[in-house]
Amino acid sequence: MNKSKEKVYRLVVQICFVIMVAVIWEVTARAHIFGERSELVFPTLEAIAKAFIDNFAIGYAGTSFWFYILNSLQLLLLGLFIGIVLSFVFTGLSIMSKTFHYIYDLIVAVFDLLPGVALLPVVIIIFGINPAVIVFLVVHAVIWPMSRNILDGFWAVPKIYIEAGKNIGIHGIKLLMGIYIPATTSYIVSGIKVSWARAWRGLISAEMIFGIASCPGIGLYINQMRTNLKNAEMYATLIVIIIIGMIVQYGVLEPIEKHTIKRWGMTR
Amino acid sequence: MTEKNIVLEIKHLKKAFYDNGFEEEIVADFNLQVEKNEFLCILGPSGCGKTTLLRCIAGFEKYQGEILVNGQLKKEPGVDRIMVFQDFNQLFPWKTVEKNIQYPLKQQGIRDKKELDRITAEYLAKVNLNGIQKKYPHQLSGGMKQRVAIAKALALKPQIILMDEPFAALDAMTRNKLLAEVLLISQNEDCTFIFITHNIQEAIVLGSRVMVLASKGEVKIDEKNTIEKPVTPASEGYGNLWKRLHDALEDESAQEQ
Repeated sequence: MNKSKEKVYRLVVQICFVIMVAVIWEVTARAHIFGERSELVFPTLEAIAKAFIDNFAIGYAGTSFWFYILNSLQLLLLGLFIGIVLSFVFTGLSIMSKTFHYIYDLIVAVFDLLPGVALLPVVIIIFGINPAVIVFLVVHAVIWPMSRNILDGFWAVPKIYIEAGKNIGIHGIKLLMGIYIPATTSYIVSGIKVSWARAWRGLISAEMIFGIASCPGIGLYINQMRTNLKNAEMYATLIVIIIIGMIVQYGVLEPIEKHTIKRWGMTR
Repeated sequence: MTEKNIVLEIKHLKKAFYDNGFEEEIVADFNLQVEKNEFLCILGPSGCGKTTLLRCIAGFEKYQGEILVNGQLKKEPGVDRIMVFQDFNQLFPWKTVEKNIQYPLKQQGIRDKKELDRITAEYLAKVNLNGIQKKYPHQLSGGMKQRVAIAKALALKPQIILMDEPFAALDAMTRNKLLAEVLLISQNEDCTFIFITHNIQEAIVLGSRVMVLASKGEVKIDEKNTIEKPVTPASEGYGNLWKRLHDALEDESAQEQ
């Protein structure tokens, strides 16, 4: 009873805050405080709403915004998938071989510090200008934080689970799949959260920097709106980016948490 | 009796830990024979090596000497020796009670769902738990978790169940209840128990044989417990045995200081 009350309260507070921000925005927009530039810095809510619809209905140069979004998401999902799978493979090997672990630990420590965008020039030389570059950058954004989290999780697995596992006669890959990975779930979930956030940012920045028509994505779309001084459309695009982020947060990540670590009592 | 009845034999067990180049001997030349279906309770002051001994038997520690189960040398953990830990968190939190019991059975090749469910219900009933199959460990009390751990161990039908102070962290009432349950189980199951404890009463109530260890695993007392079960403080011989065990332990603790 108390908990649900608090939930309602939380929701009301957040909605009120959003309405307040919108009102301040609108007042600022109508006050024209930036003079001539006001329309670019603070387009009215109406203009942004219209741009939001136009983005999908008309798009840019005859291509709907949907096309850009789907293209971005496709590359993102591919990169996420490859990155997460590779993380599991390499961290799994680290558990089984000490030598591999020492090397991989170093690799993770080094590459985690490299921003993906800084690698862009090299990557372009290797792959040429094509979507593989974006996938590569997403994989780069995902694999290191994910690996770091899984490795930290593996070392934090209570000894008692491992001994209980060995006691019932499991070892090797079965011990990894049956004990290490489930026992590490809370680390894996937080790894996915960090990875997703990094991948999403990496994707948009890469698309903005090397935006080309052969690889039309959300980042490129923002850039095209910018060069055409279509700032209302740009803001509308930012809103779409936020909406997609929230859908992933509440539609994917939270249910995963609810069905694993919350259900198992691994978190409060 | 005859050689055949020996389920566990330990010869010249030695275990040392190495720390910063120093060798600390925990168990020095320990020998033991345990008969089938015996309930061996091992008492000893902290640091006497009783837990290390149990971990060596379970195969969790490397050791020198020989540990034989039914004549076979054991160096690695195995399902013939199942450990019940003191820690309540020995069940896997990501599995329901049912799955916690069935997972090891599946590893043993039992695949039939009906058979698995039957075994689960049977062994949960033995520890007086019913209808908790679908619960997760975090929804259970400490006593219930230990009961499930015991059911899980029994279901595997091991040669030996190793218990390392499994009830030490329970309140007195729950502990007494569990002691009575374990006693009943040990009388009905075809299984050998090795039970480590600090608690003299626990040892007398459960053990068909009681042992007191001194430091480095030196055996101070090793005798059959002939007091008729179920044991109460009013049982004949209780006071006598209690005093002997108590004095042996006191002696040891006094020397420690």
